[in-house]
Amino acid sequence: MSDFIIHVTIMSGLYALLALSLNLQAGLGGLMNFGQIALFACGTYGAAIAFHFDFGAVSGFVLAVLAAALLGWAFASVGRNLQADYWGIVTLALAEVIRIIATNEDWLTGGAQGIGGIPPLYAGLDGQTRQLVILATVLLLVLAAGLFCRHLIGGRYGLSIKIMREEPQLAASLGYDTIALKRQLMAVSSVLAAVSGFLFAHYVSFVGPEQIDSSETFLIWAMIVVGGLGNNAGAIVGAFLLQFTFAFIPFVKDWIGLPSEYVAAGRLLLTGGGLIAFILFRQSGIVPERVGGRRYV
Amino acid sequence: MIEVTEVRAGYGDGPDILNGISLTAEPGRIVTILGPNGCGKSTLLKCIAGFVRPRAGHIRMSGEAVTDVPTYLKVRNHRVGFVPQTDNVFASMTVAENIMLGGRLMERRDRERRFDTLLGQYPSLASKKNRRASALSGGERQLLSLARALISEPSILLLDEPSAGLSPRMMHDVFEAIADVRRREGPSILMVEQNAFEALHVSDSAYVLSFGSVAIEGAASDLLADPAMRSLYLGGDKH
Ligand SMILES: Nc1ncnc2c1ncn2[C@@H]1O[C@H](COP(=O)(O)OP(=O)(O)OP(=O)(O)O)[C@@H](O)[C@H]1O
Ligand SMILES: [Mg+2]
Repeated sequence: MSDFIIHVTIMSGLYALLALSLNLQAGLGGLMNFGQIALFACGTYGAAIAFHFDFGAVSGFVLAVLAAALLGWAFASVGRNLQADYWGIVTLALAEVIRIIATNEDWLTGGAQGIGGIPPLYAGLDGQTRQLVILATVLLLVLAAGLFCRHLIGGRYGLSIKIMREEPQLAASLGYDTIALKRQLMAVSSVLAAVSGFLFAHYVSFVGPEQIDSSETFLIWAMIVVGGLGNNAGAIVGAFLLQFTFAFIPFVKDWIGLPSEYVAAGRLLLTGGGLIAFILFRQSGIVPERVGGRRYV
Repeated sequence: MIEVTEVRAGYGDGPDILNGISLTAEPGRIVTILGPNGCGKSTLLKCIAGFVRPRAGHIRMSGEAVTDVPTYLKVRNHRVGFVPQTDNVFASMTVAENIMLGGRLMERRDRERRFDTLLGQYPSLASKKNRRASALSGGERQLLSLARALISEPSILLLDEPSAGLSPRMMHDVFEAIADVRRREGPSILMVEQNAFEALHVSDSAYVLSFGSVAIEGAASDLLADPAMRSLYLGGDKH
């Protein structure tokens, strides 16, 4: 049981990184990114491809981070004149394109079979100790990422982004370069997603296209909406809450005696239902946001 | 100095809203743009500010070609202050934060000095400086937007209906404030107005637009005296 809890906590931490990243984009910047999973994919495939071609884990990490920053930059550049909702659709489509490429370019990505046998983190340690060290690493990263996001949001840069989000034209008329701000925000937040993907790949030792299905993006959305859009602590809380709830669906299923198909359905139901419930009844989520800061002007 | 030559512009794939407009606004002068609703006044200001790209024609600021320069660079390089017709304040920030934002490219000490001066000039804002802008009335937002543009001592000032929604008393104060800016700092002021009579009184010259073209142009005093103008745009024989 404790192994199970450790595993779920590690997964929650990896999702928390993704949620923090999406929260920077959507919560802080108002960028409705529905292609978040593609940025995670840069991390997983960065690790997998580096392993596949024997480049070593360090190059894998560099590859993951560079690819994600570049993709984030590209997301912000493509359709930069579109309204937020249309831009969201473009990101969803781009993420699907990337998933399809991952499914079909066998020579590079292992195609539908994916790439297996990726060496675990801390390979020198034995099973139980390794899990604990991975757990500590992930939790430390979440903490560091949370502090980084807080610093970013609370500072001058965060204020510029909020101003751009609230009134883009007004922001431009105050001398803000709104396109550059969006690109920087996407590039920086994408790196967080890539770190999550990279660790995930080494943690589960396998990378495949079914891991980067668009439904995962909506799971991350559900996490930040439940936690409170625009709030870092909220993003972390949301990620842990949903992951732990999902982890216990199978037990609940056994308890009330439902067939196994209901596990997947329960996940979807909770994601969708949670999203709708929070959007309808508590838009500010568990912990709301405040905009402002004359101090930083 | 703003020079607009034969500018055509529109939105998306839509028709031309501006059909070849030319105008000049010199430093230390107030130029007013008049015309019926929907004739393209705001579009013209957005074109000059850089939100709408001209399809043809040229725009120059202080003698430099800026036709396709993005807004933020115009603001940084030519000190453009812009008061939009709608969405003109950051609702979730306080009055003070809003005003300070207008001076974000200035030296801190200058900004604070200007901030105090402006609050002295607008007591209605001073008394609410720590309130959220969302809690202001329409007229107060208008004033706030003006104050935010003025804090940076712009050399080009674009005002889209600065007196909209203001009481007669407040309107008088706003026009006085604008006239005062001209006297002291001498920027080129281009102002769109519906309160034509009051606006012309503080202006040097004016352009009347109709369907995206200049229908009448001339010195403000001439337009005020023109009987055709009176009946068409000024609404009867006031004064
Ligand atoms: N964002 C936009 N997209 C498409 N068309 C627009 C847009 N803004 C304005 N228009 C159209 O352009 C024309 C001119 O609009 P504009 O706002 O310039 O008028 P205006 O002279 O400022 O009017 P008002 O006195 O009512 O403010 C109108 O027919 C309007 O429908
Ligand atoms: Mg208008």
